[in-house]
Amino acid sequence: MELRYLFKKTQTDDIEPEKKAASEAPQTPQGLFQKCDACGQTIFAEELRKDLFVCPTCGNYFRMFASTRIADIIDKGTFEEWDTDIGETNPLNTPGYEDKIRRLQDKTELDEAIVTGKGLINGHPSCIGVMDCRFMMASMGSVVGEKITRMFERATDEGLPVIIFTASGGARMQEGIVSLMQMAKTSAAIKRHSDKGLLYITVLTDPTTGGVTASFAMLGDIILAEPGALIGFAGPRVIEQTIGQKLPEGFQRSEFLLEHGFVDAVVARKGMKKYISNILKLHENNGEYSFDGVKAKKKTARKNKLSAWDKVMISRGKDRPVAQDYIKSLFPDFVEFHGDRFVKDDQAIMGGIATFAGRAVTVIAESKGHDTKQNVERNFGMPSPDGYRKALRLMKQAEKFGRPVICLIDTPGAYCGLEAEERGQGEAIARNLYELSSLKVPVLSIIISEAGSGGALALGVSDKVWMLENAIYAILSPEGYASILWKDSKRAPEAAAEMKLTAEDMLSLGIVEKVITEPEELTHANLSEVTDQIASDLAGFIKDNLEFDGDALCEERYNRYRKYGA
Amino acid sequence: MFKKVLIANRGEIAVRIIRACREMGIETVAVCSEPDRNALHAMLADHTICIGPAQSSESYLNIGRIISATITSGADAIHPGFGFLSEDSKFARICERCNIAFIGPTSDMIAASGNKAQAKKTMMDAGVPTIPGSAVAVNTVKEGLELADIATYPVMIKASLGGGGKGMRVARSKDVFEQAFLTAQTEAKNAFGDDMMYIEHYVEHPKHIEVQILADKFGNVVHLGERDCSIQRNHQKLIEETPCAALSEELRKEICEAAVRAAKAVNYENAGTVEFLLEPSGKFYFMEMNTRIQVEHPITEWVTGIDLIKEQIRIAAGEPLSFTQDDIKITGHSIEVRINAEDPEHKFRPCPGKIEMAYLPGGKGVRVDSAVYSGLEIPPYYDSMLAKLSVWAKDREEAIRKARTALGEVIITGVKTNVDYQYGILSEPDFIEGKTDIDFIEKHSHK
Repeated sequence: MELRYLFKKTQTDDIEPEKKAASEAPQTPQGLFQKCDACGQTIFAEELRKDLFVCPTCGNYFRMFASTRIADIIDKGTFEEWDTDIGETNPLNTPGYEDKIRRLQDKTELDEAIVTGKGLINGHPSCIGVMDCRFMMASMGSVVGEKITRMFERATDEGLPVIIFTASGGARMQEGIVSLMQMAKTSAAIKRHSDKGLLYITVLTDPTTGGVTASFAMLGDIILAEPGALIGFAGPRVIEQTIGQKLPEGFQRSEFLLEHGFVDAVVARKGMKKYISNILKLHENNGEYSFDGVKAKKKTARKNKLSAWDKVMISRGKDRPVAQDYIKSLFPDFVEFHGDRFVKDDQAIMGGIATFAGRAVTVIAESKGHDTKQNVERNFGMPSPDGYRKALRLMKQAEKFGRPVICLIDTPGAYCGLEAEERGQGEAIARNLYELSSLKVPVLSIIISEAGSGGALALGVSDKVWMLENAIYAILSPEGYASILWKDSKRAPEAAAEMKLTAEDMLSLGIVEKVITEPEELTHANLSEVTDQIASDLAGFIKDNLEFDGDALCEERYNRYRKYGA
Repeated sequence: MFKKVLIANRGEIAVRIIRACREMGIETVAVCSEPDRNALHAMLADHTICIGPAQSSESYLNIGRIISATITSGADAIHPGFGFLSEDSKFARICERCNIAFIGPTSDMIAASGNKAQAKKTMMDAGVPTIPGSAVAVNTVKEGLELADIATYPVMIKASLGGGGKGMRVARSKDVFEQAFLTAQTEAKNAFGDDMMYIEHYVEHPKHIEVQILADKFGNVVHLGERDCSIQRNHQKLIEETPCAALSEELRKEICEAAVRAAKAVNYENAGTVEFLLEPSGKFYFMEMNTRIQVEHPITEWVTGIDLIKEQIRIAAGEPLSFTQDDIKITGHSIEVRINAEDPEHKFRPCPGKIEMAYLPGGKGVRVDSAVYSGLEIPPYYDSMLAKLSVWAKDREEAIRKARTALGEVIITGVKTNVDYQYGILSEPDFIEGKTDIDFIEKHSHK
């Protein structure tokens, strides 16, 4: 016999407990818990709110109400809402449409699927639009299109940046062709805003699809995405039905778009406000010139006794600092932007924005890895056409916002491979030479190690080119030179001497303006000896270009290259 | 008063709460995990609900399941016991939102006590002594020296991101401060990549003294004397006693009144414990406030005659305290010994398994709070405590003899226990003479 049946249990007194009102009886109030669709856990709603609607168990992102999003992003008490009184339209006289809208307005306390207005983000003024999926899947009808267009028109007049948090099923079926026209209308308003040199950031949240993706969502100067968001033109179910195939895991998610070059960065919700306000700050460019870096000691030129081949080996050295190290040291607030907006994010080139001496600059670098794993990811610093197109995109962005471009060159050469040819390696390099020649902002290139041929030149059509003492710059590798001319790649050391590829040679040929001295053996430990010099010289470059005339810069740059050769 | 109380716990504390409820005529609902179906608390309660698998996260820590068990069983209150969800402010908050009485303080009080920095500041403002030291972290010797002067030597230098003893050094005087600071800082930098350091007074060879508090919802706060819990191994208490032999009447009054001030400073309600470190000099410092019933509450019950669990339930039901500070009289001496299923010969590793036979002592002045019985399978998933043996006698000497006598009768076979180890401590001359501090076990561990 089990103990449970042997114990004598509680004898309660027969006193009726005081009757409680039904509302005071223990019960779970509506909305106290929320269930995570991804992991099935029940989450205490208050906790979920505190965690900005990210599941504490599995990290799944819940969709956010527009009001909550605004509370998260906009400084308290600074939000001014715009255009809540546009009124509904029913251009195709769809039966029941107006009723549906009214019901949703009552239920969601929204006037339409987007909230627009203006406010401060960590003190930086900005216009903001936030879409709310509860309202007909935030589809774009004429009111949504109108609110966005008016916001851009007002932002253009007031000279303000715009941020839109997108989420939408696409066009609004009930408004048919008129809904389609909103795509054109909003895009046109964005173009005018952009032509004024104003900043537009989009933050793609789950789900951003259809006509919204194919218009204002993809037109940001900077496109951010929340982790795991579904982003695409056609919905996954439609694609599966059309092609009769199952789509792979992660298809059309933020990370997929990042990998394919359409998103600048995937940003966690928790740090989103800080991330955005930092970008806004970098675009305000009202910082005064202020350089408080170390004044580099002028090194007395010592005789560099190394042979050309020695320098080739040094520039390829395994322990030699790579572009990321220079960026870390010279541009500690560097924000990296990804993607070419065509096919891919090529990690052999990294680019982004930062401040230097109080000024915003665009930094683009050819990037090798520290070890084999990183080198595989970065393709040993050999860019693909996607890399050059990313670089060009960021250069054009710099031109729009009037900030100098600093290029760090370190590549054995442009990638030589099947896909590179398929996507037009030659065209990509040529396009960069062409566009750089007339980029209306100051451009400086620094060759930090290897500058291999056209792959290097694609980042090297500049106002000034500087070069580290033991870096090399050549039309091809000494091995290639030896095997073409002498059918013997083993004679590379001899070729290196003949090719005239050292910094000293470049200076005497007038290819570079400045040679930066290196310590005996340049490593991470003594990198500051080099970066201090670069910082000091770079500060000079920035100072010389505080006020610049884009056309004059292009003229000088034209003449700089015009003079080479016959 | 409540009609039905759900006990969100297991083991001896669940049994203790079921008994208190039964004596008050309150129905009880036990919750248990799958391997605990035959646990004593599950069999003793009027109703039992199995709430999930063995892992605590799926059962005793699973708020959603405990709340739905409460609502479906028709209970109107939850007693959380100690451990598990007892100091989880979120759990308390959810109970509040669901109209379930949480037998303990409010969620806000739990949250406030859980925030150590905030709690320290509140106590300083309330005039409760705290360990002097830096509210800010510093990274230069010069700033460190200034703070050390305020904190008074000896000082502890510790990494702001520290843990595991890394980046920690004691400087006994000003002339060795610089070296200690730099060594600790280098360690901190290497281990945590951060060189910011905290400087605070190093409390040397203190006793762990805690004061039991009861406070109702009407602002009445009383203390029930102190407990000396200095016999600890790796911050786990082994033996507790009350009164503390080392306290003079004046010092006792001072500490207990500080504890009442601490409770009042946070508008505390229900049972709570204010922990202090007591230096040999007689200086004492606030450590933290425990917002729950403590394991060692029986010794306070012995010397005051007050049933703390019943008082907790009455307070939660909205009743005022039925006594004042003057009504509380401390009589005699009480000692508690914790009996764990662990192997002292192998680094005290837990020893789950089947209890073949359990014989537990009794007699005048002997109390055993336990959830074991012959044939019970001790699951490996939870705390290893099997029983608490507590005794009462007219003075400390007799209490020690009684504790030894009773412990000598404890027979538990099938699993390894620390009974002999505890018997050894009770026989240790330093213990008998009251020469105890929190380093006692370390000092005597070679024996």
